[in-house]
Amino acid sequence: MLAYVLRRLAWGAVTVVGVLFFLFLVFFAVTDPDDIARRALGEKAMPEVIEQWKANHGYDKPLWPWQDLDDNLFFDHYSRMLTFQFGKSDSDNVPIRERLADGIGPSLALTLPLFAMSLLLGVTLSLFVAFFRETYIDRMGVFLAVLAMSISILLYIVGAQYLVAKVLRWFPISGFDSDPSVILRFLALPILVGLASRVGSDVRFYRTVFLEETNRDYVRTARAKGGGEARVMTRHVLRNALIPILTNVVLAIPFLFTGSLLLESFFGIPGLGSLMVESIQNNDFSTLRTLVYIGALLFVGGQIATDVSYALVDPRVRLG
Amino acid sequence: MRAVRRRGARRALAAGLALAAALACACTNNPYPEADSDEKVYYTSFVEAPRSLDPAVAYDTTAHAVTGNVYGTLLEYHYLKRPYELIPGLARRVPERRELPDGRIAYRFELRPDLLFHDDPCFELSGGEGARTRQVRAADVAYQLHRIADPAVNSPVVQKFSNIAGFRAFSKALAARREEEPEFGRRPLREQYRAVGPIDGVRVEDARTLEIVLSEPYPQILYWFAMPFTTPVPWEAVAYYDGEQGRDRFADHPVGTGPYRLVTYDKRLEIVLEKSPNWYGIRHPEWDAPGATYPSEGEPGDREAGHLRAASEPLPFIERIEFRREKESIPRFNKFLQGYYDVSGIIKESFDKVIQNDRLSADMKERGITLSKAVNPSIFYLGFNMTDEEVGAPAGERGRKLRQAMSLAVDTRDWLDVFLNGRGVPAQTPIPPGIFGYDEGYENPFRQYDPERAKALLEEAGYPGGVDPETGQPIELTFDTYQTSSEQRLRNQYFVNAWRRIGIDVEIAATSYNRFQEKVRDGSYQLFFWGWIADYPDPENFLFLLTSGMARSVSGGPNTANFQNDRYDRLFERMKTLPNGPERLEFIREMLALLERERPWIELFHREDYTLYHGWLSNVKPFGMSYPMLKYYDLDPAERRAMRRAWNEPVVWPLYALAGLGVMVVVPGVVTFLRERQ
Repeated sequence: MLAYVLRRLAWGAVTVVGVLFFLFLVFFAVTDPDDIARRALGEKAMPEVIEQWKANHGYDKPLWPWQDLDDNLFFDHYSRMLTFQFGKSDSDNVPIRERLADGIGPSLALTLPLFAMSLLLGVTLSLFVAFFRETYIDRMGVFLAVLAMSISILLYIVGAQYLVAKVLRWFPISGFDSDPSVILRFLALPILVGLASRVGSDVRFYRTVFLEETNRDYVRTARAKGGGEARVMTRHVLRNALIPILTNVVLAIPFLFTGSLLLESFFGIPGLGSLMVESIQNNDFSTLRTLVYIGALLFVGGQIATDVSYALVDPRVRLG
Repeated sequence: MRAVRRRGARRALAAGLALAAALACACTNNPYPEADSDEKVYYTSFVEAPRSLDPAVAYDTTAHAVTGNVYGTLLEYHYLKRPYELIPGLARRVPERRELPDGRIAYRFELRPDLLFHDDPCFELSGGEGARTRQVRAADVAYQLHRIADPAVNSPVVQKFSNIAGFRAFSKALAARREEEPEFGRRPLREQYRAVGPIDGVRVEDARTLEIVLSEPYPQILYWFAMPFTTPVPWEAVAYYDGEQGRDRFADHPVGTGPYRLVTYDKRLEIVLEKSPNWYGIRHPEWDAPGATYPSEGEPGDREAGHLRAASEPLPFIERIEFRREKESIPRFNKFLQGYYDVSGIIKESFDKVIQNDRLSADMKERGITLSKAVNPSIFYLGFNMTDEEVGAPAGERGRKLRQAMSLAVDTRDWLDVFLNGRGVPAQTPIPPGIFGYDEGYENPFRQYDPERAKALLEEAGYPGGVDPETGQPIELTFDTYQTSSEQRLRNQYFVNAWRRIGIDVEIAATSYNRFQEKVRDGSYQLFFWGWIADYPDPENFLFLLTSGMARSVSGGPNTANFQNDRYDRLFERMKTLPNGPERLEFIREMLALLERERPWIELFHREDYTLYHGWLSNVKPFGMSYPMLKYYDLDPAERRAMRRAWNEPVVWPLYALAGLGVMVVVPGVVTFLRERQ
C-alpha cells in the first residue's frame, strides 16, 4: 500500500509540474508581460510607465532559460510555485494568500451545501425511481433526468434568474452577503440551479448502479427472507452500491475548494471560482497560476485518496 | 420500535418545516437589509474592482468613483455650467497665472483654513496615541506630487507633470540614489524625498500656500488639480498602511479630505462610502464654499429641467453610497428595473424595449424612469499611418486624395445606427461637443458620405475606379486591428465594404495586441481604428494627439497616425498657452482646416452615453466626464421603498401548483405499485 501511494505521489508530482509547464506555455503564447502591465495600468499608460511596472513586478526578465539561464521568468515561475511563494496579484498587488483566504469562505458556502444536497437528492431520487422500476414513475424519472442533463447550465442560470428572481421575485437575481441571517437569500438560487444542472446525470448514474445491484443474488435472498422492498433497497442495495457513489463523492471533494466558475461568476459570489475567471480576464498571471497549481494539487490528491478509500471500504480491492 | 419510527417521522417533519420556514424567510428578492430602505443610501454597481485607490495611481472609472468622493481636490468643476468651468475646492480660489522674474510661469494655491483629514488611526504616527486626524497642509499636496514623480509608485500620469520645473530631475535622482544605495531605498519615503528633493517647481511657502513653477507654459496643469492625482495625502497614511503585520496597503485604505469616507472595501463584493463629518462643507457650512453648496446658476435650460431646485443648499445630500459588484449586465439591468439600483446604462439586449423612436418607451415612463443623454468628451477615429508609402505623406498629393476619398466613403451615421443603436455624434473634427473649439454648424467637406465624390477623387489621385494603373489591379490596403471578437470584426468589415464600393480592396489583419503594437513600432501598418477619452475638457487634450512630439514613431506617444506637420505643431504650441477666446479659436480653426485637408484621421464619432434614472433621484445632470458628482445628488427613500414594494411582491402560487402537480403525478403511481406488490 505504502509503495503504491509513493508511486502515485511521484506520478502526481510529475502531473503537477506538467500542468505548470503547460500553463506557462499557453499563457505566454497568447499574451506577454506588456499585456499584463497594460491591464494593470490601463490603456493610456505610456511605454516608460509600462517598462517601470514590469521592472517593479519582475516581468522585465526574459521568458525562457535559453534567453538567460540565470534570470528568467520560467525558472522564477517554478521556484515560486514549488516553494508556495504565491506573491501578489498582478492586477492590484494584493497578496494572493489573502485572496485565497477571502475566497474560500464564499466558495465553500456555495459548494458544500450544493454538494451535500445534490448527493442526497441524487441518491434519494435514484433510489425512488429504482424502487418503482419499470413503472411510469421510473420511465418519467429517466426522461426528466435525460432532459435535465441535456440543458446547458448557462440556460439554467439565465432561466432561473429570469423566472425565479425577476418574474416570481423569490430571491435576489445575484449578489452575496456573508451575514448568516441573509446568506440563504443569496445562496438559494445558485444552489437550486446547481441542483437542477446536476440532478439529471446523478439520477441516471445512481439509478443504473442501484438497478445493477437489485439484480444480484443477495438481493433475491434478502427478499426471500421476507425483507420489505424499502428495507432491501436502503439496507442492502444502497450499502453495496457505495463504491461507485464513493468514487463520485471523493473525486468531487477537492473541487469544493476551488469553487464553481459559472455559478460564482453569474451570481456574483466572491469565491475562488469567480477569482479564476477574473484572473483570466485581467491577465493576472500570478493569481491564475496559483489557482491552477492548487487545483492540480487537489486533483492529484483527490485521485490518490479515492484509490486508497476503495481499499479501505471494499476489502476485495487490493492496491499494488 | 414504533415509538422510534414516530420520533424519526416527527424529526423529519420538524426539519422539513424548519427548511420551509427558512426558505419562506429567504423568499424576497431584496438584496439589501430591510433597515436600509428608510435611509438616503445611493445604490450603484461596479463591474471591475479598482486596481488601486492610491490617488497617484488610480486611473480607471471605478477607482475614480471612489477616490473622487474620498479625496478632496484643490479645484473642482462647476456642476451645471457648460462649457466646463473650474471652481475652487480645497483651495480658496482658482490660481492665476503668474510670470516669475526668470520668465517661468507659476501658479500659487492657497488652501482653505481648518481642513481636516478623515479620522484614521494612522495619525498616531504624528499626533501620538489616540490622535485620529490633523489639519491639511500645503506640504501634503507637495508630498503627493513627489509621490507621482517617484518611479516606485508607478503613476500612469507622470508625464503630465513633467512640465513642473525639476520634476524629471527629481525622478531620475531618486531612482539613481536608490540604485546606488539600496539601504537608502528602505528609509521612510518622506526622508528619501527630503534627501533627494524637493522638486524645484513644487514650493511650500507656508502651511497653506503652495506654488507650482512650470519649466514651460502649460495652463492645462490646473485641470490636473481638479483630479484626485493631486489631492493632499498625509505621509502618515502612506507610512502606516504598508501591508505589513496585518495592516492594510495604502492602495486599499484611502485617508482623504473629501465629502465621503470609505467604510467598507471588499473589492469582489461591495464598496461603501459614508458622509464624512470632517469634510469642510459639513464643518463650515457658513463659508458657502462653491464646492460645498449646490450651485444657484447653471446653463440655459437648467432651471426648466429642475436642476436648480436645490440651489444654495449645503452638500452632500446622500448619507451613504453603496457600490455593489455586478459583473453581468443583464442581472444588473434587471435589478435596476426592480428598483435596487438607482441609475443604470441601457444594455444592448433591452435597448429596443427601453428606447423607441429615440425616446424613452411608455413602459419606462410609467415606472417614473427618466433618460439622460450626454456626449462624452471623446473621439473615435480611423487613422492612416502617415509614414506609409502608399497612404501616408510620402505619397504626396496622390496619397492625400486617396485619404480624402476613403474619408468620403464612410457613412458614420449608418455605422452608429447599425452597431451602437445610434448612440454617438458623428464627428467632423477631433474636438467633441462641450469642448472649446467645437462648432456645431461646421461640416467637414470630407466627412459627408458621398461615394460619387470619393470615386472622382480617386480618379484625380490616379486610381480610376480604385485601380492602380501601374499594376492594373485594385489598390490593396491593410487594416490592422487587435480587436478579434466577432462583433468587432463585423464593425470593421463595415468600413472594408464601404471602401470596396469605391473600388479599394482593404484586407483586415486582426492580430494580438502585442503583434499590433509591434507593427505600430515598426511602422508596418496602414489603417487602424482608435479612440481617445479626454482627461480634461480642453481642446489641447485632443489636438495634442496629432503633434509631431507625440508621434508613435518618434516618442512612442499616442499619435499613432504619425502625423508630423511643422505648421500644425507651431499652431499647437501657440494655441495651448492661450486662454479660451477669439485668438485661441482662430488657431484652433486653422489647425482643424489643416487636418481637414491632410486627413490623417477619418473622424468617426463622439461617444454618447444614455443613462436611466429612477424618479426618486433628483439633482441629476449628466456630467460627461468621469468625475464623481454624487455629492450633488439627492433621493427620496420613502418613494423608493413604496415603488420597490409595488414592483417586487413575490409570486408564490406556482410553488403550490408545482407541489400539487408533483403529488398528482407521483401518488397514483405509488399507490398502484404498492397495491401490485401486496
